[in-house]
Amino acid sequence: MIRVQGLFKEFDDPRSGVFRALDDVTFEVRPGEIYGLLGPNGAGKTTCLRILSTVLRPTRGLVEVDGINVVRNPEGVRSRIGFMSCNTGIYDRMTAWEMVEYYGRLYGIPEEKLQARITEIFNVLQMNDIRDRLGGKMSTGMKQKVSIARTIVHDPPVIIFDEPTSGLDVLVARAVLQAVSSLRDQGKCIIFSTHIMREVEKLCNRIGIIHRGKILAEGTLPELADKYQQPDVEELFFDLIQRREEEVRNSGANSEA
Amino acid sequence: MSWKNIRLVFLREVRDQLRDRRTLFMITILPVLLYPMLGLGIVEMMLTFSEQPRVVVILNADDLPTSPALLDQSGIGEEWFENGAEETSKLRVLAERTPQAGNEEKSARRPRRGEKTDEELLAVAHQLAEKIETLHGLRPVADESMEATATPQPTSAESPESNTSSTISSTDKTAEAASTEAKLTAAQNDISQQFGTSGFQVLVIIPKGYRAAMEAMQREIQTSSSATTGVDAKAVATRVPPVLVVRNSADDKSMVAFGRVQKALQSWEDAVRKFSFEQAGLPKELQHPARLAWIEVALEEQVAASVWSKMFPALLVIMALTGAFYPAIDLGAGEKERGTMETLLISPAKRVELVLGKFATIMLFSTATALLNLLSMGLTGQQMSAVMSDGMANRVSLDFPGLAPLAWLVILLLPLSALFSALCLALATFARSTKEGQYYLTPLLMVVMGLTMFCLSPAVEMTPLYSVIPVVNVALLLKGLLLNSASSGNLVVYAIPVLISSIGYSMLALWWAIELYNSEDVLFREAEKFDIRMWFRQLLRTKDAVPALPEAGFCFILILMLQFVAMTYMKPDLTNGDPGLTMMRLIVIQQLTMIACPAVFMGMLLTTSLRATFRLRMPSITAMALGVGLAIVAHPLTVELSQFLVEHQVFPELPESARQVMGLMKTGDKPTWLLLLVFAVTPAICEELAFRGFILSGLARGGRLAIAVGISSMMFGIIHMIPQQAFNAALLGLVLGLLAIYSRSLFPAMAFHFCNNAIATFHAGEGGRIVADGVFFSRDPDGFLRYDAPLLILCAIAGTLMIMHMIKVVIRDQDAKRRGLVPDFRDLTKGEEVIA
Repeated sequence: MIRVQGLFKEFDDPRSGVFRALDDVTFEVRPGEIYGLLGPNGAGKTTCLRILSTVLRPTRGLVEVDGINVVRNPEGVRSRIGFMSCNTGIYDRMTAWEMVEYYGRLYGIPEEKLQARITEIFNVLQMNDIRDRLGGKMSTGMKQKVSIARTIVHDPPVIIFDEPTSGLDVLVARAVLQAVSSLRDQGKCIIFSTHIMREVEKLCNRIGIIHRGKILAEGTLPELADKYQQPDVEELFFDLIQRREEEVRNSGANSEA
Repeated sequence: MSWKNIRLVFLREVRDQLRDRRTLFMITILPVLLYPMLGLGIVEMMLTFSEQPRVVVILNADDLPTSPALLDQSGIGEEWFENGAEETSKLRVLAERTPQAGNEEKSARRPRRGEKTDEELLAVAHQLAEKIETLHGLRPVADESMEATATPQPTSAESPESNTSSTISSTDKTAEAASTEAKLTAAQNDISQQFGTSGFQVLVIIPKGYRAAMEAMQREIQTSSSATTGVDAKAVATRVPPVLVVRNSADDKSMVAFGRVQKALQSWEDAVRKFSFEQAGLPKELQHPARLAWIEVALEEQVAASVWSKMFPALLVIMALTGAFYPAIDLGAGEKERGTMETLLISPAKRVELVLGKFATIMLFSTATALLNLLSMGLTGQQMSAVMSDGMANRVSLDFPGLAPLAWLVILLLPLSALFSALCLALATFARSTKEGQYYLTPLLMVVMGLTMFCLSPAVEMTPLYSVIPVVNVALLLKGLLLNSASSGNLVVYAIPVLISSIGYSMLALWWAIELYNSEDVLFREAEKFDIRMWFRQLLRTKDAVPALPEAGFCFILILMLQFVAMTYMKPDLTNGDPGLTMMRLIVIQQLTMIACPAVFMGMLLTTSLRATFRLRMPSITAMALGVGLAIVAHPLTVELSQFLVEHQVFPELPESARQVMGLMKTGDKPTWLLLLVFAVTPAICEELAFRGFILSGLARGGRLAIAVGISSMMFGIIHMIPQQAFNAALLGLVLGLLAIYSRSLFPAMAFHFCNNAIATFHAGEGGRIVADGVFFSRDPDGFLRYDAPLLILCAIAGTLMIMHMIKVVIRDQDAKRRGLVPDFRDLTKGEEVIA
């Protein structure tokens, strides 16, 4: 469903010329599974997911979502994905219903089908009491619900969550995670980025640990624990990152020498 | 592109804006309420407003003639003012008279707090009068004439003493002032300062013995006109010493009071003249020998039109801009700030659709704001003029302009607000935050205001050139159409270029906005901390082979600034030596220091490879040949094009300085090698180093070559200042840029530049040798060599072929380069599928 192969992304950096945010990233996500992208801040998670959502263009490499190339047909990709992140805000001067309806229309869903779909989503997510509330007057939890409703209004086969729980309180974060897992149960192909280990342990079928634009390790949790002989994800994570840091330092020293 | 999505975005944005109370307030409430309230306020102020009376001191008022009398009991007589008592009340006249019984208590006016008493005022006035008279060399003269009149003798007029005082005559005051200017400046400060603190605004000094002198003169005329000898006009006029009226032009209060006093004195003088003529028994007609009558043909609505023609264009432009700006910031930067931009970008709507939807929204608000403002202002003005002019003699009615001008207003508003909307949307998209967006308003508003103010000047009228300058074209056309709706037939012709160019500019701005929406680094720019030291160190440390884009821009600005500074300091001194040589020397210095130096220094400082920056590579022989060939075929085309444009008044004739340079080429007294060195070799090296070297290398770095060539040639045009030359340079700059990109070397461009300038030099100078055959060459009445259609067609074909060839090669190279950098996804995917 999601196929990423040899993906590079470079930015023009006023300080050091070129900054390589993604360095030969390769992974694959299948329907009905949640792929966790685990990494510290600035590891390249958001860049990677933004490329998947066609907002950024890859410098090099192959990226396919649902069999469609993100460079050749970005509009096609966008209509097949749902994307939600802590950056995807909602409009202050629109009600919950209008917001979801607006996006539904942008996705080109026929009007009757759209109304039925929104009603269904509002029932499932228990949003009927905020139906006519303006975005500016909502609590963070309500906003997050609207965001989720907006993400899934067109019933996309692929859903991308970029740190969806960052900045949320425990209750709201839990609700979001529940929504994610129920989407997986519907057979969606989900990619989920976070820097919180517990979320990964709870949700993800497979994880990729990313740091400084490189995927350091990939596999199911038991596989990884087996391979690296670490008791839990947290230890594994720190161990991998430390090793990588040392590598970078050594190579830097070598090149200077 | 789907209209459905554009409509969706448009409807959402409009609803969003309408739900925003601030926007609604700015667009509807403010104009609808503000103007009537302002108008009401002004009316109120006018009603309660009374002008403070200004103080006029008249020294030695006793010496004024009694018939006709300038002063009455309260001050200057009402009959001397145009508006009678109304104006009298605005002047407080303090006339110095010798105390007489009965007059005593009247002059004792109690001063208000902080004001000087009459005695103090008179004391200061006397001091001032003394200083002024001494300064102007009047004192001793005044004394003599006083003596003369104290013991009146009929023969004193012919005495030699009086003749010395003839240097001052009332009609010759200015000439006198000029001759004593040196002395005047010495004491000027003192007098000016004392006058400023004196407490009065105008000082009138009646010289001693004024009345006696005037009466003597009148008697003289009477006797001499009755005699057959005639009047010795000069001898008579010199006898009356001048009345001095002192004012301070830098002080508004003084000027207002002076204006009144001057008018009163002039009408009084008319009366004196009339009286003298009657005394002398001269015919009445002599008083107004020219007999002038003034006739007004302006209709009431034309008066109104002239008021509106000044107000409406300015207001329309500014309101269309503000009306576009606030929604644009909200729709662009605001969306980024609130985090809804990314949400919107991942919807399947195309970027073009998003931009167009937003653009339509902004344009709607821009148009609405402008129209509502105009409507409200027009109605308020109409109402106000009706209220204010009640009972006034010269009624001014501000009736609303007719339907036809209003229709034009709406028609012209549309492209104008389209331009502003697109421009604002682009700027707002570029901004990281709403705050940053608002910073962009000030320069934009200032540029637009400047352009509008320029149009308000009555001397500025529509020309073909102005009809394609953004904002100016709409404002000028509107001004003309509102001014005389009846005779606007010839102006309507301009509507076509105005509309076409305005729409063109707005398309360009819209394209820019779409480009920005497609550019990921603009949409995801993070605000960075800016440290100037860090930045500078970084700038010097992390150099690249070729300059960065901002560095190229800075180089251009630097060159422009230097040129601007040079305009004042490098005026050729043409008075001594060989003016031609001086001018040529200046041209070379200017080229070297102000064009080549900045570019070369910046190149050495900021880049690692001068070779790459300045394209110092060996060109192919083909490229060099193309450079020379293109220059040869381009020359007749540019000559004829610019002649055509001048003949159709798109560009003004060359200014004097440019003609002088042209003259240098023509006179032929300079050796050919020198002319070539100055006009061809130097510019070819200097300008190419800067524009096709540093600047183009920096601009082309982003890989968008067409835009880089376009912008660099525009910059090249701008530094040529004179519109005609700027146009030529910009046009040739396109070819030069293409040559540089095509050959990857600066030398073909230099060859082109050299040949082009050299041919132009010979065209002005030695073109005379070519025989005008009437087919390829001909001459215009000035003997200027012109090119005929067959030659032009041949040149155009050859030029097009060469340019097409270069473009083809450049595109091929670009494709190859792109393929090398980024693998073609199609190929990759195919490979994948084969493996699978």
